[in-house]
Amino acid sequence: MRALLAVEWFKLWRQRRTYYALGALLAIEAMVMGSAYLQGAEIIDLALAGLRDTFYFEGNLLNGNLVTYFLLNSLWFHVPLILIIIVSGLLTTEYKDNTIQTVFMQPVGRWQYILSKYVVGIGFTLLIVTSLAISSFLFAYLLFGKGDLIVYLNGLVFYEQESAFWRLVGAFVAGAGITVFYSVVSLTLAVWVRESVTTWILSLLFLILANVLMKVDFNSELVHQLFFPKLNDTWQYFFISDIPYPRIAANLAVLAVYSIAAMGLGVYRFQKKELG
Amino acid sequence: MNKKILFLIALFCMAPWLGAQTPIEKLEPLLLKMQGITAFTANVKLRVDIPFITMPEKEAQVRFAKGASMEVTSSDFALLPKRGLDLTFQELFEHPYLVVDRGEETVGGTPLSVVSVVPETDAAKFSIATLYWNPESRQIKRATISTKKDGTYDIAMRYANAAAPLPFEVIVSFEMERIRLPLTFMGKDASVDRKKMREQKIKKGKIVLLFEYLSVSH
Repeated sequence: MRALLAVEWFKLWRQRRTYYALGALLAIEAMVMGSAYLQGAEIIDLALAGLRDTFYFEGNLLNGNLVTYFLLNSLWFHVPLILIIIVSGLLTTEYKDNTIQTVFMQPVGRWQYILSKYVVGIGFTLLIVTSLAISSFLFAYLLFGKGDLIVYLNGLVFYEQESAFWRLVGAFVAGAGITVFYSVVSLTLAVWVRESVTTWILSLLFLILANVLMKVDFNSELVHQLFFPKLNDTWQYFFISDIPYPRIAANLAVLAVYSIAAMGLGVYRFQKKELG
Repeated sequence: MNKKILFLIALFCMAPWLGAQTPIEKLEPLLLKMQGITAFTANVKLRVDIPFITMPEKEAQVRFAKGASMEVTSSDFALLPKRGLDLTFQELFEHPYLVVDRGEETVGGTPLSVVSVVPETDAAKFSIATLYWNPESRQIKRATISTKKDGTYDIAMRYANAAAPLPFEVIVSFEMERIRLPLTFMGKDASVDRKKMREQKIKKGKIVLLFEYLSVSH
């Protein structure tokens, strides 16, 4: 199994598309940071308009924490989008290049093979989210400095630097859980579909539907706690004054169950399916 | 004889007015004390109590010199009230004004003298200010100031003791417009009660300032 993991990891980094994806993510990061900086002052002006008659403002709110927060708002669509292509490609390229048949000429167990792809896919997803978190903090603090974070949740909430930093870290951790789920689903779809473009289309459809359904109020707390699209914004809970840790843990646990279920389904299907 | 008696009666009736102080003269001891404060520096803690705003307690440094505006600096973001930081009330008395005596009012068991200050020129930024002050300690305990641009605000002041020239606690209460909802900057939108926010057009806010004086020159 360890050898399989090493081989899959090696193959992932031999693909040119992995580097294109990393470049695309960095470009998205830079663009969001740039637009956040340009629009940030306007948004802060709007948010504080009602206070301007009564207060003077001392200090800078358009800082690295706010820019990272803006980045987080857009990351959880763009990152899964790119990861879907890379992670599903771990399997679809094997079908396309017919290398999968070569692999099984060796004494390799089917479930071990597909499981190693899932593990590498999850590892790659976590690596990307971690890299994004580190680069976001690094560039945001370097370019825009530190300071209080202002967010709009049932009113204006201000968090001091230290609190803001740990909340943003928490948001990245929760976001990683959501991204892993989409990566796993895309690989499971690849097991079914085998073909790259169709897998991407189906995975994107899944991602878009989840984002649309996230906004729908189902009028049921149970649905809100268990239906996966409603778990998409778990990262936002870190910006509530008293962070609801039990709710976050429950949401991430449900997402983990969904991910394991999708993975189990993929392994089962791959085990039963013809290779050719 | 009758004329003499009438003159004496008239003199007797006018007696209270002849020796009485005008409202401005009554205010003189307070003004002398306030204007005697030439400079001070202090650390101030700010506690914001405004609906729809959650902000941790902030610290700032204030520097005052007579004739100049208060300088406020803070190392991190702070909301500083535009009104209520003028602890010596110099803004009220910088232009010609009238003083109207409103009598006495007992607040918290202490009899306070109540006066209204009305500017005589358009240059003043306020239209009327009512001061509640203690004639014994010569300390302003409360003030209601109606400004021309920034609405009406109330100030309540607490002092460490009767001799203290400046308050250690100032509570500024004011009315403010509701905060507009910037849709592009929404967080978890399901939790925002938009209807409630729309209903509350004018909100009352309060900011508590706790001063720790580093130096006072008077």
